[in-house]
Amino acid sequence: MTLTLRRLLCTALMVCLTLGTASASAATAVSMASTSDVLASQQTQDARERIHSVLARDDVRQQLELQGVDPADVEQRVAALSDQEAQQMADQLDQMPAGASVIGVLFAVFVILLVTDILGLTDVYPFTR
Amino acid sequence: MSVSHVIMSSARLAGALALLAVLSGCAATPDLDTSRTQSLSAQRLLDDVPFHPQRDYQCGPATLAMSLNHTGVDVSVDDLIPDIYVPARKGSYQPEMLAATRRHGRIPFVLAPRLESLLEEVDAGHPVVVLQNLSLPAFPLWHFAIVNGYDLNQQVLRLRTGVTRQDSTEFGRFDATWQRSERWAFVALPPGQLPVSLSASEAIQATSDFERVQGAGHALPAWEAVVERFPDAAMARFGQANAYHAQGRWEDAIDAWRAATQYDPELAPAWLNLGLTLASQDEPQEAVQALQRAAALPGPWQASAQEALIELEGTP
Repeated sequence: MTLTLRRLLCTALMVCLTLGTASASAATAVSMASTSDVLASQQTQDARERIHSVLARDDVRQQLELQGVDPADVEQRVAALSDQEAQQMADQLDQMPAGASVIGVLFAVFVILLVTDILGLTDVYPFTR
Repeated sequence: MSVSHVIMSSARLAGALALLAVLSGCAATPDLDTSRTQSLSAQRLLDDVPFHPQRDYQCGPATLAMSLNHTGVDVSVDDLIPDIYVPARKGSYQPEMLAATRRHGRIPFVLAPRLESLLEEVDAGHPVVVLQNLSLPAFPLWHFAIVNGYDLNQQVLRLRTGVTRQDSTEFGRFDATWQRSERWAFVALPPGQLPVSLSASEAIQATSDFERVQGAGHALPAWEAVVERFPDAAMARFGQANAYHAQGRWEDAIDAWRAATQYDPELAPAWLNLGLTLASQDEPQEAVQALQRAAALPGPWQASAQEALIELEGTP
């Protein structure tokens, strides 16, 4: 289901991008090259990859909402990401660290971390220093 | 338990610990590149960096507020929570820290992953946001903090971290916790300032990403700084020219595109934008010359240039 939807969206986007260029040049003024478009084109010549980066923002938007971010905030948050950051979040949000400073401490873990703190490998308990 | 048992189990424990130490990599003091550190002050403390103690899980917003406040942005920790906090993860993601920096009018520059980069920035007066895993990879404790000082003789970093206003951590221990985030760090700077060490392409990309969010007016001082640092980078001239154009400064834009084409005669979009702008400024002959250069270069801008030439000359 989602796969079909994605494919449809992809096709629609491709048509839009092609038509967009065509209609821009059909108008009286040819549009200028923007800095971000030029940088993107220098990084990838592949139109499919650029479409992928448009979809990435949609993905991130959905995932952030699923993770409890207020839908009213999501739009602006995603808009402020660079293409590369949006891509990175779309690809690996599950493995991405989230700075939080909390740990579920079991006793065994407590002991191990106490030792590694003393060895100077970790920095969990300030009293070890 | 017999004596031999006790000895056996202590030996086992010692073995396990030794193994752990080897597996985790030793917390040895990292070797600093002396060619980069010898020009630094021996010690530095940016004591004017404000301090916001973190509340539950909010080390991201607290750290970002300290960094932004230091560059003159008036924003509170509570203002930043809806910008970067992710309830299900009870934390904040790195890319969103960068995005929120842009939204508040500052440019985030991710630093090269070396301790020297942190020291250089602090010496230049820029507090650095770092991501650490204070615990082991198996039970991560991801944590954002601010490096606001160092002492090369004592080999310590000074940090604003968690609920501690001024912490000191040895280089070795810090690096052990920092390398788990692949030594991720960034500085938030007002447009017009740049970090001590970065490449032309990093500076150009960071400025373009900022411009997309804040517009050409706010990005212009940043483009000027990039051009000053990297005068022969054609894309920096190009970005500066586009920002001038967006501000209606046609003459400045034309000069900057010309400079871009001098440093890179193959930069087709610079010829294209130059030609289009010259045409709009009633310089048809020069416009045609520029557009012919763009039309001769294969790539995504060729078709536009050919189209513009036809319009301008009236014949195919």
